[in-house]
Amino acid sequence: MNKMLKLFLFTILALGLVLAAACGGNNEPANEPENEKVENEQDEQPEEEVVELDGEIVVYSNRNENFTLPLLEKFEAETGVEVVALHGADALQIQEEAGNVQADVFISNDLGALGYLDMQGLLEGHDFEGIESIPAEFRADDNAYFAISARARGFIYNKDMITEEDMPKSNEDLFDAKWAEVENGYAITRGGNGGMIGHISALRYEWDDEKTADWIKSVKDNAAGVMEGHGDIRKAVGAGEHAFGLVNNYYFHQQLLEPDNNNVGFIYLDQEEGQMGVVANAAGAGLVKGGPNEVNAKAFIEWLLLPENQVAFVGESLELLINSEYGAVYPAEVQPHIIEFTDLKVQDMAIKELGNYFEDTKALIEQSGLDLELR
Amino acid sequence: MNNDSKKKSQLNSSQNAKVGENISPTLLHFFRRKWLSIWRGNPPGSVLLLFGVVVGLIMSIPIIYVMWRSLFAGVDSWVRLLDGRIPQLLWDTFSLTFAVTLFAIIIGVSLAWIVIRTDLPGRKLWQWLLALPLVIPPYVGAVTYIIVFGPSGWMRDFWRDTSWLVETFGDYSLNIYSFWGVFFVLTMFTYPYVYLISSAALRKMNRNFEEVARSQGMSTAQIFWKVNLPFLRPAIGAGAILISLYVLSDFGAIAMLRYVTFTAAIYFQRAGFDTASASVLSLVLILLTVMILWIESRTRKKNKYYQTSNTYREPEILKLGKWKPFALLYAILVFFVSVLLPISVLVYWSNIGIRMGALDNRFFGFAWNSLKVSLFAAVLCMLLALPIIYLKTRYPSVITTVIDKLCYAGYALPGVIVALGFVFIFNNHIPILYNTFIMVALAFVVRFLPQAMQAGEASLSLVSPRIDEAARSLGYPPWKVMYKVILPTILPGILAGGALVFVSSIKELPATLMLRPPGFDTLAVRVYFEASEAIYHLAAPAALLIVLVSIIPLRYMLKKY
Repeated sequence: MNKMLKLFLFTILALGLVLAAACGGNNEPANEPENEKVENEQDEQPEEEVVELDGEIVVYSNRNENFTLPLLEKFEAETGVEVVALHGADALQIQEEAGNVQADVFISNDLGALGYLDMQGLLEGHDFEGIESIPAEFRADDNAYFAISARARGFIYNKDMITEEDMPKSNEDLFDAKWAEVENGYAITRGGNGGMIGHISALRYEWDDEKTADWIKSVKDNAAGVMEGHGDIRKAVGAGEHAFGLVNNYYFHQQLLEPDNNNVGFIYLDQEEGQMGVVANAAGAGLVKGGPNEVNAKAFIEWLLLPENQVAFVGESLELLINSEYGAVYPAEVQPHIIEFTDLKVQDMAIKELGNYFEDTKALIEQSGLDLELR
Repeated sequence: MNNDSKKKSQLNSSQNAKVGENISPTLLHFFRRKWLSIWRGNPPGSVLLLFGVVVGLIMSIPIIYVMWRSLFAGVDSWVRLLDGRIPQLLWDTFSLTFAVTLFAIIIGVSLAWIVIRTDLPGRKLWQWLLALPLVIPPYVGAVTYIIVFGPSGWMRDFWRDTSWLVETFGDYSLNIYSFWGVFFVLTMFTYPYVYLISSAALRKMNRNFEEVARSQGMSTAQIFWKVNLPFLRPAIGAGAILISLYVLSDFGAIAMLRYVTFTAAIYFQRAGFDTASASVLSLVLILLTVMILWIESRTRKKNKYYQTSNTYREPEILKLGKWKPFALLYAILVFFVSVLLPISVLVYWSNIGIRMGALDNRFFGFAWNSLKVSLFAAVLCMLLALPIIYLKTRYPSVITTVIDKLCYAGYALPGVIVALGFVFIFNNHIPILYNTFIMVALAFVVRFLPQAMQAGEASLSLVSPRIDEAARSLGYPPWKVMYKVILPTILPGILAGGALVFVSSIKELPATLMLRPPGFDTLAVRVYFEASEAIYHLAAPAALLIVLVSIIPLRYMLKKY
């Protein structure tokens, strides 16, 4: 046994005794040494960069990472606050961690999820500077959450496979089994997808649960493909794997930017006289109650409310700004196809009502036979 | 048990100290005799025993906790799942496990036989080339096959641009997102388990038996079925259990190919925070696993074949003759689909990715996270494994057997179940460690401790207990003997075990996905997310790095078998 090996062994041993003590105490209260170590580690980094704010902020987001990441990096660069992000987080994680709050801010694609969390008392209102720029129907009464960008539901379709005239134009149309006969059929997302939950909540508001359940059954039976998310649908429709698919309008915008497979069109549903109007949803943020970095969280939200950053929130998602006058810039391929949110006929239900439907909608979807998760 | 045994051993030592001075009560006498008889008169020191007991408990708590939760999941969840979900899941999981195990055995055994027993050209080279798929985690393999055969993959493009294919067979209709896709990928990346174990068995087979068979007028085929195969049965059984347990527990490949087994269902239920259903499904999966382990132990008991070593002669190499081109083609084909093609795809996309700047700060951050958590887990495993294996080999008894078995609980069960237990325990009872990387590392320890134990045990079995006795006679307590005398001797084995744990940790996916704290993505997690968004130029460099790191234990594996 040479000296190097002995030294190495000794290091491991020394390290090990500390660890073993800490680890052995897992189900007993004696685990202080390790805790201190963790805390020290987290404290070390922020001390180096002292700007007007310091420390960190924990952001849970269920938006696509590619949209959120540039926004968070912008905040990091401008304020020096370290952003610790969990992408792809589910709203219910905040509910589960209520006894041990981890997140400071929740960014969501679905205002229903934010509304639900608020109803459970997990979000906290505050008199944010700049909050009045968000129209009242797009924020909670106490500003615990609010929306920044909006999207509308509809069909992306492959122009090589089906013409605009042949496409279904309303939610009611989908009861008809003939759409199962279209070449390669159509695609929907799994039931648990946030957009799908919002869509079905809106239908429940417009119709009743029985009719909505029938609608879910028809869609499930007639759809040729059930996908994990909307990104899969736009790609599949663009590539001709399905003739059309139910998505949010910005997925249509995204598909237009693809180098190929971009010969697609979009139908905004229920725009005719007497129809319910397009199902809309919005993305926004909420302040988590009792988060570990409250000061930074409030600063983040006020930063987010600056017009420039509302534009940055939309980012590459190609959604529509609620405050369209702030002027989100769209690529040349997309700009001609942009229809401002205010020009659409939108469902009667106020979007922030969605939270009241969140939980029951999930139950109804599952009872109607559409799985929340892919099988 | 923990407290009892501690008390007992304390009583013991105080008894020892006062022999002859006090009249011990009869009851204590009885306990002491009982205690000594458990240990066959040689009880371990209390420090060592306590340590072992605590480790054993920690290893099994997550699983016990999941089972406990499932019992309180409510009749609702049980009825709903038993009605709708479980029968279909059972069928999907079972059919896949069976098919993959069967075909992996066929491929593994046939390749082992060809490579070891015939004059295949370059057979020495093939012996390890064909073990190479071991270094490709199945979810990485799945990514490469999606890139090649997916609905908008290379094959589709080639098909579309080749007119005679379209004219004869119509449009490209291969669907990788299907049972067959999953079956193919899992088979191609798990057959080496059987291949390695069968190769080892074939190498040890005594030529005498075959010559007797041949003298009876049997053909080579008959000899294979009647002589070789029965001898291979233990090897095949061992391989089969490894593969079927792997298929039961796989998450990455299955999720990427959009097939759902119990493991994936548990993950998705948990991701949607339906924890009640997740724990119900976990209990079913635990039962399935236990069933497979039970079947295996039953069949192993029935099949014992002995070889006489004193007349051992190396088996002869058979001439392939006209079969040579076919055998060679077979080996090349398997090597191509399980190693060459996946690696080429990874290199191709890594090259594109690196030129697009994929190796940025984020990438190194992910690599550092992977390194940190895996190293931490490896060191912990090396430290924890030693007392367990020392107890097990030097102080065999019912108690040590139980501790040993408890340590295997997390190893036999899928990572999602361990992770589920960890989420419950840490969120509710140890909030201070919840959402730290330590939680992830501890999950790795529960998952992979047995790998470190197996490696250490092999080394320890070569050290004579006399050495311990000598040290004990100088007045060292057992734990000190272990660390001061034994550890330096068996260090290479312990380090090999640590390396195995390190590699397993770095490619572990489902537990990492479920337990990683915010902002703590690892390479494996990135491969999963980037690949599921079809951003291959970012997925490939991370996957390639995982593959490269995985080469570390290959030497160990090849030496072992």
